[in-house]
Amino acid sequence: MIKNYIKIAFRNLWRHKSFSLINIIGLAVGMTAFLLILMYVTFELSYDKFHTKADQVYRLNVDIRSANDVMKLSVSSAPMGPTIKADFPEVLESTRIFGGGYVVKVGNQLFQENRVFLTEPSFFNVFSFPLIKGDPKTALKNPFSVVLTETIAKKYFGSADPIGKTLIIDGKAPSLVTGVVKDVPANSQFKFDMLYSISTLEKKYPGRLEQWGNFGNFTYLLLSKGANAAQLQSKFPAFLKKHISDADRKGGEDYALYLKPLKDAYMDTRGGFEQGSLSNVYIFSVVALFILLIAAINFINLTTARATERAKEVGVRKVIGAARNQLTMQFLGESVILCLISFAISVLLVSIALSPFNQLAGKIISPNIFEHGYIFVLLIISILIGVVAGAYPALALSNFKPVVILKGKFSSSAKGTLLRKGLVVFQFTISIVLIVGTLIVYNQLNYMRNQPLGFEKNQMVTIDFGGDENVIKSYETIKNEFKSIPNILAVSLSSGIPGGGNANAHSELENRQGTMQPMNINMYNIDYDFIKIYGMKVIAGRAFSKDYGTDSTKAIVINEAAVKNLGYASPNDAIGKKFSQWGREGKIIGVVKDFHYRSLQQNVEPLNMRVNPSDAGTFTLKISSENIPATLSAIENKWKVLIPQRPFNYAFVDENFNKQYATEERFGKLFMYFAILAIFISCLGLLGLASYSTLQRTREIGIRKVLGASIPGIVNMLSKEFLQLVFIAALIAFPLSWYGMHSWLKDFAYKVDIGWLVFAVAGILAFMIAIATVSFQAIRAAIANPVKSLRSE
Amino acid sequence: MIKITDLEKFYRTEEVETIALNKLTIDVKKGEFVAIMGPSGCGKSTLLNILGMLDDPDGGSYVFNGVEVAHFNERKRADLRKHNIGFVFQSFNLIDELTVFENVELPLIYTGVPSSERVKRVEEVLDKMQIMHRRNHYPQQLSGGQQQRVAIARAVVNKPKLILADEPTGNLDSSNGNDVMELLTDLNEHGTTIIMVTHSEHDARYSHRIIRLLDGQTVMENIMI
Repeated sequence: MIKNYIKIAFRNLWRHKSFSLINIIGLAVGMTAFLLILMYVTFELSYDKFHTKADQVYRLNVDIRSANDVMKLSVSSAPMGPTIKADFPEVLESTRIFGGGYVVKVGNQLFQENRVFLTEPSFFNVFSFPLIKGDPKTALKNPFSVVLTETIAKKYFGSADPIGKTLIIDGKAPSLVTGVVKDVPANSQFKFDMLYSISTLEKKYPGRLEQWGNFGNFTYLLLSKGANAAQLQSKFPAFLKKHISDADRKGGEDYALYLKPLKDAYMDTRGGFEQGSLSNVYIFSVVALFILLIAAINFINLTTARATERAKEVGVRKVIGAARNQLTMQFLGESVILCLISFAISVLLVSIALSPFNQLAGKIISPNIFEHGYIFVLLIISILIGVVAGAYPALALSNFKPVVILKGKFSSSAKGTLLRKGLVVFQFTISIVLIVGTLIVYNQLNYMRNQPLGFEKNQMVTIDFGGDENVIKSYETIKNEFKSIPNILAVSLSSGIPGGGNANAHSELENRQGTMQPMNINMYNIDYDFIKIYGMKVIAGRAFSKDYGTDSTKAIVINEAAVKNLGYASPNDAIGKKFSQWGREGKIIGVVKDFHYRSLQQNVEPLNMRVNPSDAGTFTLKISSENIPATLSAIENKWKVLIPQRPFNYAFVDENFNKQYATEERFGKLFMYFAILAIFISCLGLLGLASYSTLQRTREIGIRKVLGASIPGIVNMLSKEFLQLVFIAALIAFPLSWYGMHSWLKDFAYKVDIGWLVFAVAGILAFMIAIATVSFQAIRAAIANPVKSLRSE
Repeated sequence: MIKITDLEKFYRTEEVETIALNKLTIDVKKGEFVAIMGPSGCGKSTLLNILGMLDDPDGGSYVFNGVEVAHFNERKRADLRKHNIGFVFQSFNLIDELTVFENVELPLIYTGVPSSERVKRVEEVLDKMQIMHRRNHYPQQLSGGQQQRVAIARAVVNKPKLILADEPTGNLDSSNGNDVMELLTDLNEHGTTIIMVTHSEHDARYSHRIIRLLDGQTVMENIMI
């Protein structure tokens, strides 16, 4: 019996090759997209769940409330962790992590390592990063102890045993390798190459780990099994009151502590070493489901549309003794077989697409489809689709009354046609929503890339020197040396550059009311050339100048946002007002026009600049657009002579700035690909339905032509039916996509307006694609010789 | 073998109710060959469908082999049908996707005959119908006469007690038609009861008895001599 079913299933597939192909390709593509997204989503949701005590680990988040704003931090201050552990018995362990970047000298080789964690022995107790060599209890105990990952150990020492070897960190600190840790899994936000003992920090900066008001490290707490995090959290206000003196509160600041479960920390919008996006995970999950749904709908539509053809077979089988359940089984079997073929193709497609997809996602989501049993998930899903998508046709077909069918009275019901039309509308609604989404994402990206940023970003080369003391000592000489290279127009150095990070300085500035207003202000330590080289526009007062002796110690320049924050009506009003910041006191001497020192997702916040090159860490070189490669190699050669102790790592300001949009670009690309897939699968279905419908109407077309219908008239007649559906879909899709994209854009401080043009383009695009799909069939039917079609009846 | 009494069947559309069978009473004995004739719309096909248990009557009684079947549910009817009744249609109704052999084999599959037994019986009946040489062909590759012989082979492969034939020669030329009628007569002579609906007086003459229907009622019965 089953052999018979399989046999007839294959013969049916073969006999109706084009329908089978449409079904199989549509399903295979849909399943491929679904699986890739499924892999992506499960990967994103798996972050840091592998730690054996993951359930008991929490990150300490801090809110800092000052008069005008609340800063929501994922970092905390150094004494908090150990003190919480001492005060609360349910806290078993606390571990602190500072992120750092260092130049590591191994023998004669220099390496820039930007993923270094300064941490303490409890790190290995809280997290599950197993040591291959060394003792977890002692490896990070002594100052100047280093634990390397396997990969880095191999990079430095090859196959030799790294334990006991010495590295020179930042040119001056000989440090001992005390352990080798297994490489960090891809699904961990703690992506380090090297661990450095936190006691080193204490040794170099005595008292640093006792500063309650200095928020620079992550704190992770291990709670005892069954401990109640909410209860613990409720005890924090009293804890803060007990430990933080008014002096530490810097005049009016108020703190609040929160516990964020480790498992949710990756998705926390407060950020961390690496930050995921829960809303992206949701969006893609929905998209994946929809694509699968579109493919399944094709299947249902084509199968039920062809029910009339299969009706005779059903009738005959019933007459000669087939029971209803046997027929149901037969049709279900057929659809499952079809889905299994699609499954096989989709496995192939996923294996081909996985590596480009990993690249697109920017990380190795999964090296192959066999990982984590994804292939079984897909197998089960394909059988499920087979059963679900096959159920309707199977039940409908097996319910036919043989008498009716065999008498030839059978015709597809109006209800079935309506259902098919509804499903086509549904498919195109999703497709159009995805097209609109793609267009808006790209518009926004374009907008962000092309928006004037308020500073010069082209032909600006930055070179990080990590605040190297030797460079600082002779920075004037070095600047002059660079300037002597032809095609270098200007040189500056600073602690921060637009698109990079910056310090956040607790300061007091005189506001409109004349009082000293405490605020956490973004701050650049710069030299005299910085404002000029970046082309920033001074709109009140003046920029720093060597002509004024006090500029290097008693002056700051602020931006417009700071002016507003202080309450002044015009930038000029702020000139001459007092400030106090990190040991300096003096006057505001100038105001620059707001420039986007962060991505356009964020508002321009108050910022000040002050002359303090000795805290700088980055050179900026303005170069001419002529022969850039030669200029770069000239800079490198000079660098090797002047600063041999640091590796030469350069970047372009514009490229670096746009890197901030990498996530959005990735999102946009993924979105676009899935939109293309959705419309492709929808069109496959439309093609199938259109060709079927024209096939059924061959006789009608013949008669109409004999009676004098024109070819365009017939094409129009055949296409209209389907284009109406696309039109309805567009009407439904527009408000839906407007709403969806409106919420997406909410995350951006600076954003495009959603104009009618996007909808027009998306609608016309969908329409054109649908016309191309449908009219191909319609034209073929219309130009056929009517005599042939009439004779065939 | 078949005894129908006061059989009724109505067709309802939104406005009118049409009576297809009007208190029809017919008796068919085992081994009989009965032809049913009458103008279009007289209820011939309705009667055949009810006799074949493809349709239920709206009233009256239908006793098949001593069992009242008028109110059997679909499952029971299907079960009774597949073991006892073979069908031959005007349009052959072969399954296009199956070969000659597979078409004939199908009823045996549904009645659960084991595979080796199936091959034996299908070959036997194909041989008898003289289409053994076409066993691996598909229906589209056969002439009308050959297709009908396959259909008859399929109808008899399960050794049914009753064959219901609905215009079995309607789609055939006279020579092929005669062949088909010879086959049916031969089956009847070997004990199979046959009820045949036909428009052809010529074909009807192969039967023992002609029942003429008009407006769902028997108007005349003539017994062939």
